[in-house]
Amino acid sequence: MTRRELLKRSAAASLALPGAAAFLDACAKPGTASSSAHANGPGMGSYWPAGSPYPLARQDSPVTWKLWRDPIKPGLAPEKGATLQIYNWADYIWLKVVRQFCKAYNCKYQITTFNNMDEGLAKMRTGQLQFDAFMGVTPDILGKLITGKLLQPLNHSYIPHLASDVWETYQNPFYDQRWHYTVPYTTYTTGIGYRRDLIPDAQIRGMSNPYEIFWDTKFNGKIGIYDDYREAISMALLKNGITDLNTGNQKYINQAQKTLISLINAVNVRASINGVYIGIPKGTFDIHQSWSGDIVAAWQYTPVQNMKTWQTLGYWFPANRKGAVFNDTVTIPANAQNPVLAHHFLDWMMTYQNAMLNFTWNGYQPPQRQADPATLTTTKSYYGEPYVFPWLSDAVVHESDFHTGHFQEELTPQVDQLWHNAWQAFNSA
Amino acid sequence: MRVLPRKRPREEATGGWYPRWYWPGFALPGSLWILLLFVLPFYVVVSIAFGTVDPVFQSPLPVYEPWWWTSRYLLEEWHFVTGEFRAVELRTLAYVVLATAICLVIAYAVAYYVARFGGKRKGLFLVLLIAPFFISYLMRMLSWVELLQPNGYVNSVLTFLHITPHPINWLAGVPFTVVLGLVYGYVPYMILPLYGFLDRIDQSHLEAGRDLGANPFWTFVRVTLPLSKPAILASLVIVTLPMFGDYYTNNLLSGSPKTTMFGNLLDNAMEATGQGPEAAVLVLFLVVFLMIPMLYYMRETAKAQRNQ
Repeated sequence: MTRRELLKRSAAASLALPGAAAFLDACAKPGTASSSAHANGPGMGSYWPAGSPYPLARQDSPVTWKLWRDPIKPGLAPEKGATLQIYNWADYIWLKVVRQFCKAYNCKYQITTFNNMDEGLAKMRTGQLQFDAFMGVTPDILGKLITGKLLQPLNHSYIPHLASDVWETYQNPFYDQRWHYTVPYTTYTTGIGYRRDLIPDAQIRGMSNPYEIFWDTKFNGKIGIYDDYREAISMALLKNGITDLNTGNQKYINQAQKTLISLINAVNVRASINGVYIGIPKGTFDIHQSWSGDIVAAWQYTPVQNMKTWQTLGYWFPANRKGAVFNDTVTIPANAQNPVLAHHFLDWMMTYQNAMLNFTWNGYQPPQRQADPATLTTTKSYYGEPYVFPWLSDAVVHESDFHTGHFQEELTPQVDQLWHNAWQAFNSA
Repeated sequence: MRVLPRKRPREEATGGWYPRWYWPGFALPGSLWILLLFVLPFYVVVSIAFGTVDPVFQSPLPVYEPWWWTSRYLLEEWHFVTGEFRAVELRTLAYVVLATAICLVIAYAVAYYVARFGGKRKGLFLVLLIAPFFISYLMRMLSWVELLQPNGYVNSVLTFLHITPHPINWLAGVPFTVVLGLVYGYVPYMILPLYGFLDRIDQSHLEAGRDLGANPFWTFVRVTLPLSKPAILASLVIVTLPMFGDYYTNNLLSGSPKTTMFGNLLDNAMEATGQGPEAAVLVLFLVVFLMIPMLYYMRETAKAQRNQ
């Protein structure tokens, strides 16, 4: 081979090899992830299970997500004549709050809804829908959204009310250190909703293990749990004394499965998603696993609107506040058409007055500094009633709950499969 | 003698000459319909069942190249279908058989009455039969949820008449309620095809039966019923196939694991992150199972055509 030939072939090979690699990559089995060092990953965190493309956030292993692109520049004017595209769970924001924002910023709005987080994520992934604000995002899907480059980093200069109005915890949340991509929307706990006219508060509070009330045969056929595998199994884990709500321990999950199945024969338990705010006021359920926000809003669904019927709604959460706690977030999608307006909207929702107005309607508490949990049960809301009725004081979320409570976080696919199998076993029992 | 060219068969049949593709061409729209709306989507389901999930989003990732297919999910679900899910499968079968039988009795009686005794009011009856289709299935089920509440009208009537001393919790995982819901939801789909067929039965057949000495009952048993067998089979197929995949009737009227149907297992898998292939495999199992009544129906229909 002559030197000229060698050079020609080397040049050809240098051109062809990347192409060949790309070709081989295209021919590779679909769904196989290319291995990348953690240093090149989308974020930094100490809990990075094998096979996971990103670190998983835990209360004791926070995650800092890298900025995959620069946030928008500071000091830009909001887009003029824009239509703010909001993507949210159904019935999870009061339109009054959005209308007031649009009046202040001279814009229109459009709300598109989803019914569960998977659906929300699936629509986002298409890239065809261009939303300005993605609301109600649970922290357990942030890894997917950021790794998939579906969110844009936030410019904090547009959102001063997060620093001034929102709990200290959310100045640096464990699932998004330095809040690169999220602002908190609502906080809530999972406890037990019940009919106070049938179960005195003292009875449930006096039980050594109040979760056992789900097995009380007196309420046969009128007991419900959420139709949600994480919530249902978490309740069984807590009943069994297991506080790690992200456990991958097969033994604990099997025990939780048996615990749940025993509910079927004991009380003919039912799974529902609206059993608290519709079922308890109507009398379809006497006891139901309950998100604090659902029971706070349930008074709006009582068949008769008076204090007597509102007083039938009860909520229990552990007195030591060691129960299941959560929060939802608001984010800005990467392909937002009005990112400046979206930043202002996020700030609007972080402002005390607006956040509390929204709380009045949807029942899910914003993490506002001024919304002192001690006074929420006495301060009158827009409707003239307390934000939270005094007898539902357990449903008020405290900032300290996020230090004492237990968070449901993203599971590895293998652990998630164990949880799903347990849920299917319950459903087919 | 001049020999005329022999007519080709299709000229003899139609009286004119058409290109070879002319008559098969009429099957083209239907074939395209089946290709686009059945074959291709079904291949996507198969590709998901034998595919994988996205490593980041955990969403189903269809694998269209059969050489990359994996039987992992098939084997996993086979384990469940032949084990843990057995009770649900048997329950679904029982509910569907019972609901279909009740549907058939109601639908046949209604269709027979309208076809034979509708007279001038046939049009009105037909409108009434179609009326349920104006209201969505979901809304009709929700109305039952209201009626069957512990303090709903059904319990009010039952306690008022002293049929039951206390209100019955119909919505607390009662199999009867689920079967009732299935019957209520699907019976209109059975009435219409039955009516369409019964209305076309030649009256002379019935008259012949009576002339030969059969009373109205035996005329029905020996003439009407055998003649309407193809319609019965067709309406059974129309009703049972969707019933097997139904999940919302149970979700709305029960919600209890005691009444879980196969469709609920499918729905659970569909709703769950990372469970897409499992859901697709369950769909395939259901399709294979439903092929049994479908093949029986096709065999019977073919036999009936041969006999004609």
